[in-house]
Amino acid sequence: MNKTDRPVANPFVVLREEFDDWAVLFNPDTASAVGINPVGVMVWKLMDGKRSIDEIVSEVKTSFEDVPAGVFEEIGIFVDTLAEQGFVGYELKQSNT
Amino acid sequence: MTLPLGMKTHTGSAMVMRIPRTIDIEITAQCNLRCSYCYFFHNPEVDYRELPTGEWLTFFDELGSLGIMNVILAGGEPFSRHDLPFLIEGIVRNRMRFSILSNGTLIDDKISAFIASSGRCDYVQVSVDGSCAEVHDSCRGKGSFDGAVRAIRTLQRHGLNVAVRCTIHRHNVHDLQNIAYLLLEELNLPGFSTNSAGYLGTCRLNSADVLLNIQERQTAMSTLLRLAETYKGRISANAGPLAEARMWQHMEEARAQGAPAFPNGGHLTACGCPHNKLTVRADGAYVLCAMLAHSQLGRINRDSLADIWQRSTALNQLRLRRTTPLSDFAFCAGCAYTPYCTGNCPGLAYTLTGKVDHPSPDACLRRFLREGGTIA
Repeated sequence: MNKTDRPVANPFVVLREEFDDWAVLFNPDTASAVGINPVGVMVWKLMDGKRSIDEIVSEVKTSFEDVPAGVFEEIGIFVDTLAEQGFVGYELKQSNT
Repeated sequence: MTLPLGMKTHTGSAMVMRIPRTIDIEITAQCNLRCSYCYFFHNPEVDYRELPTGEWLTFFDELGSLGIMNVILAGGEPFSRHDLPFLIEGIVRNRMRFSILSNGTLIDDKISAFIASSGRCDYVQVSVDGSCAEVHDSCRGKGSFDGAVRAIRTLQRHGLNVAVRCTIHRHNVHDLQNIAYLLLEELNLPGFSTNSAGYLGTCRLNSADVLLNIQERQTAMSTLLRLAETYKGRISANAGPLAEARMWQHMEEARAQGAPAFPNGGHLTACGCPHNKLTVRADGAYVLCAMLAHSQLGRINRDSLADIWQRSTALNQLRLRRTTPLSDFAFCAGCAYTPYCTGNCPGLAYTLTGKVDHPSPDACLRRFLREGGTIA
């Protein structure tokens, strides 16, 4: 994952917002589900394929107080984990060949 | 009474989700069989009317927009709907998974292939009540056994998860070992679940012929306990003789040892359904549960599901049922099992006593013992 990568939320995944701004991501194709906290919910909603990880982190910093110094790494791990499980994809780069 | 969104119920740990994860849908009021113990038919308070395809598809759009994860299609017989593929497409389009409860007799290769191709089916449940046609068909009608077994094999051939439910009654209570052999050995199913015919719907008209008496119940309990030991982890039950046998053994041990009350004991805590799911009847009425089919909460495509789930007085009242102590009931007075008892199914409580907020006499251990039953 690079700062310039632009993750895309899998459009088939359902975001179920539950209590206290926590949520469940549910992939109906695999029946897998994962719980995410309010920061995760915000990140999920920002993963539109247009924003880079760096831009997403910037928006998180402006929306939450006391954001830790390692937020970029933490969000990066979060997005990578979701990507490994099929919840998130990255736009394929055009080949010049 | 209204519970604001997200508020804890009285039980503290029992949070109510903003939206249920599962919706039980009686997708049709049609059925090609007339089983003598069916809970669905012959409820004088139910309007057995079908909804057109478009109404269901509109409803599925609402479910999708709310983030419902699963729908369970029951009936009637869901495969009697010729538009079932369109309905399944509507479910898939709205990012949900589904399961179907069926008698199996209308399942063929074509529809099985279609369901498999959806990639969203958790399971198809087929009812099997006997190891042979003579037993199975005794309550379900001629030809139904062959149809059920054929359906299981067809579904298996298409790689679908097949669940089997065996409903125990007077005509199959002595066939349980053979049923287990058929399902687990011959058909090689991973497991099956059991319950028993209950005093609901059509069964109320045939109760003398269908419902287990004390001796038969005792037989079913001991046989199922033995089979569950033989086929470890492959025979399950949330209700009926096997569930009762396990629960009652546990309760008797606790009583004999003077153990403290069970965490969920002493109150009407048995039913968790109103915290997890909602039911829609074939005519589009929201109801508390298929077993409480009279309890209309509203109508699909007219009343918001979210509004009903979060604000329905009747639904919230059913959720609060778990705060009602058994000591409130004359029925439970002096019962040594009260600290360990959960009051059991509100649906059966209603049909047997006329009250939802009452323990179900059907699953009362003290009554079972008084009538001659014993605990192994």
